[in-house]
Amino acid sequence: MLINLKKCGKLAAITVNSETMMSAHDQNHQINNDKNNENTTHFGFQTVEKKEKESKVASVFHSVAQQYDVMNDLMSFGIHRLWKRFTIDASGVRPGNKVLDLAGGTGDLTAKFSQLVGREGKVILADINSSMLNVGRDKLRDRGLVQNIEYVQANAQYLPFEDNTFDVITIAFGLRNVTDKDMALRSMYRVLKPGGRLLVLEFSKPEHELVNKAYDFYSFNILPKMGELVAKDGDSYQYLAESIRMHPDQETLKAMMDSAGFEQTSFKNLTGGVVALHKGYKF
Amino acid sequence: MTSTLSQQLMFAQALSAMLETLINQFLRYNLYGTKALKPLSEKTLTVKLAELPFPLSFTISHEKVHVTASDTHNDCCLITSISTLIEFKKDQQLTDLIKNDKLDIQGDLKVAQRFAEIAQSLDIDWQSELAKRIGDIPTYKLGQLGRQLLNKFNFARQQIQADASEWLVHEKRLTVTTAELSYFSQDVADVKQQVGALSQRIDDLIQQPSKIS
Repeated sequence: MLINLKKCGKLAAITVNSETMMSAHDQNHQINNDKNNENTTHFGFQTVEKKEKESKVASVFHSVAQQYDVMNDLMSFGIHRLWKRFTIDASGVRPGNKVLDLAGGTGDLTAKFSQLVGREGKVILADINSSMLNVGRDKLRDRGLVQNIEYVQANAQYLPFEDNTFDVITIAFGLRNVTDKDMALRSMYRVLKPGGRLLVLEFSKPEHELVNKAYDFYSFNILPKMGELVAKDGDSYQYLAESIRMHPDQETLKAMMDSAGFEQTSFKNLTGGVVALHKGYKF
Repeated sequence: MTSTLSQQLMFAQALSAMLETLINQFLRYNLYGTKALKPLSEKTLTVKLAELPFPLSFTISHEKVHVTASDTHNDCCLITSISTLIEFKKDQQLTDLIKNDKLDIQGDLKVAQRFAEIAQSLDIDWQSELAKRIGDIPTYKLGQLGRQLLNKFNFARQQIQADASEWLVHEKRLTVTTAELSYFSQDVADVKQQVGALSQRIDDLIQQPSKIS
């Protein structure tokens, strides 16, 4: 059961077991722990200072940027292209729309959106990481996609756009790397136009135990070795596997989107729940 | 919140990706290039086929065709089946198809017709494309072999058809010969004529007493 407490103008969420309700003392203890935890977060399975996570994630993506597309194809056996297509099909994007492809990296979604929104529309490819943004910009320009794309280096928690700017916001495989996910979701809500929608494509929790075990084996035994062989960086892919496990599951992320203000939130599991597409509207 | 199996397997996305690659490869090899796409720039045609549980939208942008499995926006929407879609290029049949509820068109018909024109105007010199990759002589030999195989296939097909018809008509007598069918049709026509004449005579006879009175 999730309880939202309004303190110091911020929303804090604590998990409470409904069968064994906590005493007032336990609750105070929990709140104190939360205050201590306010400055820490996770980086894979490690607990790190919040300010430290940003630089650690940045170094991971600086390291893998050049090999990012090749590794994506290898790791997912090319299925990431279908996951992204599913996101585009679900976005309901139309000519003239303004789209924000957040944590857009090497620009897979931006490329498709740019062609669907047409000359009247606009796509902003935003990423916190300059290396990823450079790789994405070079790739899109080489494909002749220059007319309606802008590039912005931005932190999802502090989006540098005016309120009610975008018709569609997508964040594909990026939210789990964000330090404060709740803050990022609120920031996305702010810049979304009324009637606009947010689509979060992210690794999630497989629905079946057997798939979960096979996925665990693949993630922790094969993935880092592939990273070592192809990208010469096993540690970054070890982080990838760990960060996926630390990311909120389908229902938790949906609740987080609800808390941020999104309405009609829903999710669709893809490939047995290995990946989930969450969708929410701002009205 | 669980998704259906086809959704989880993303069949729609796999099909749209495959179609997109195929169409754009065909356009790349087209002798007239992608010029034909220009008048349709930023236009979308959605096709809802009875055989598929999802729509397919074809958008033209940047001299390419983009295929999506959604119908959020379109300039023209065709609701039909695969067999009807093949007949769509024949203009004179369009009205019949609509009348027979085989085709429903929503939006700008010209967009659909232009898409059909592009499909008809595709002219690909496969031999020249193949020669670029494997050389002139192997392409020539391969073409010769292909033609021979095609001729043999057509001959075998005709032979099988003739044999099957022979077997059904004469051996098993499961169906009638063309001559028998013709005689039967003629008999039916004669009976129809006789019934018509008889009906006319009955009408005359019914009206006769009233004329006398």
